[in-house]
Amino acid sequence: MDNSLRSTETRIETLRKCEFLQGLKGSVLSDLAAKAETLSVDRGKKIITRGEDGSNMYFIISGSARVHHGEVILANIGTGDVFGEMAVLDSEKRSASVTAESNTLLLVIERDMFYESLSTDPNAFKAVIHGVLQRGREIIREVKTRSTKLMAYEKEMEIGRQIQAGFLPNSLPALENWELASSFVAAREVAGDFYDVFKLNTLPHLAIVIGDVCDKGVGAALFMTLFRSLIRASSLYGNVCSSLVDAESGSASITAGEVLQNSLLTTNRYIATTHAGSSMFASVFFGLLDTDSGELHYVNAGHESPIIFRQNGETEVLDITGGVIGLFPAAQYAVEAVTLNKGDLIFAYTDGVNEAKNPQGEQFGESRIMETTDPQDTSPDKFLSMILDAIYEFRGVAEQSDDITMLALKSQSKTSTA
Amino acid sequence: MTTLNFMVGQEQGNVPVTVLRVEGDIDAATHKSLHDKAAEIIEAGSTHILLDLGGVNYMGSAGFRAIHAISNMLNDGDTPGTMKSAHLKLLSPTDAVARVIKTLGFDVYLDIYQDRGEAINSF
Repeated sequence: MDNSLRSTETRIETLRKCEFLQGLKGSVLSDLAAKAETLSVDRGKKIITRGEDGSNMYFIISGSARVHHGEVILANIGTGDVFGEMAVLDSEKRSASVTAESNTLLLVIERDMFYESLSTDPNAFKAVIHGVLQRGREIIREVKTRSTKLMAYEKEMEIGRQIQAGFLPNSLPALENWELASSFVAAREVAGDFYDVFKLNTLPHLAIVIGDVCDKGVGAALFMTLFRSLIRASSLYGNVCSSLVDAESGSASITAGEVLQNSLLTTNRYIATTHAGSSMFASVFFGLLDTDSGELHYVNAGHESPIIFRQNGETEVLDITGGVIGLFPAAQYAVEAVTLNKGDLIFAYTDGVNEAKNPQGEQFGESRIMETTDPQDTSPDKFLSMILDAIYEFRGVAEQSDDITMLALKSQSKTSTA
Repeated sequence: MTTLNFMVGQEQGNVPVTVLRVEGDIDAATHKSLHDKAAEIIEAGSTHILLDLGGVNYMGSAGFRAIHAISNMLNDGDTPGTMKSAHLKLLSPTDAVARVIKTLGFDVYLDIYQDRGEAINSF
């Protein structure tokens, strides 16, 4: 260590840099400098701990440190800055922790020594009070700046929420012999959940889509609009120029499986190539239901497995048939089919349901979905509200960390016999 | 844990393979360091990377985005006619990470090995 750093002149110089000591006379500063001790702290070492008692204040001669609450950094400080003075002045517990960011040399003054030095000059207390008030005003200014930034952040979140809400269906199609219900509960931070339900124009099928775009914030909301729009557009209009569609009648020899493949391959390739650099992806369950026969063709691209609650009390999960979409241009998606018979209910959801956490950090899980309710005598609407109630009860006081999106569809018709 | 630890090893299989072992949680706070480490390795000339996830107990979507970006950096994001990367493979994911890989279907896009030797010789 350079001994000059420990000299009285250096100590006085260090103290003089401190704003709330600037009003002190040279003799008081000299007295403080003489009483102070130097302390070398290695990088990464915690100097003071929040909540503990403390009677020392520290002045940074050289080096740097972070002021923090656990992982949250409140400020980065360096040469010339002071910390720990609040607990010395008001005798309260330490309000934050401070950890050395680099090898740091400190000047340390103990509370009793500090007051002893001040008592040598009648005006010293007045000067320190003035300095502390100045510092208080600075803190108020900083709080104002931060709250302005917070408001901007909240505004951005609100924009994200509006984007997301604007791309969810206003209403669900009315269907004969089928009951349909949806539920969407947005998390405080914008996430990228979406769902869509619409009738195909080329086939007598109902399209059911539920998805979750990775990440959070406005970016997730924007990509959600892209995924949702591409899936809908390619399903409705992706085949209009195809020879498979009769130009006059509009009838098609295209199959439900081909519509699914065409839509997801188009959406995946577009995002995986045009937006390759963003590495944004979505998990999507996309089903096409023949509302006459009850046959459901589907692709599950890396999404939570929807559950079919059969009328006979059995359950069936529709596992993934491919990976998430938006990343790898060569991705392929297998189409599977299952038939929904009278009284069967299919429940599709996003991970805000099964990954909802209670205060102990446990997840709601698929098993609790299965146990929540017997859907046999329950309408889809009622079914979703019972699931939601169960999630709320399970979660207790824990915060909702992700969007909760759910779709339920139940056959009321006499379709094929199982 | 807010930081990742890395260990880099060079192995010779059919081609030279860089084994990048990661330790820590790969989440929104740490994914960039994984990305940057891989970029550094690729910049130094590696063309085949085996990502050892044996020390990763949690991987969120940010981690999967980083893995995709690494795959793209290795320039095989659009290898015609193939689904799986020929340049990036995964080794020994923990049970928790393996579950997420399966849920998202990432095993469709990347080969996953439990045996280090077998993984190195698969390139």
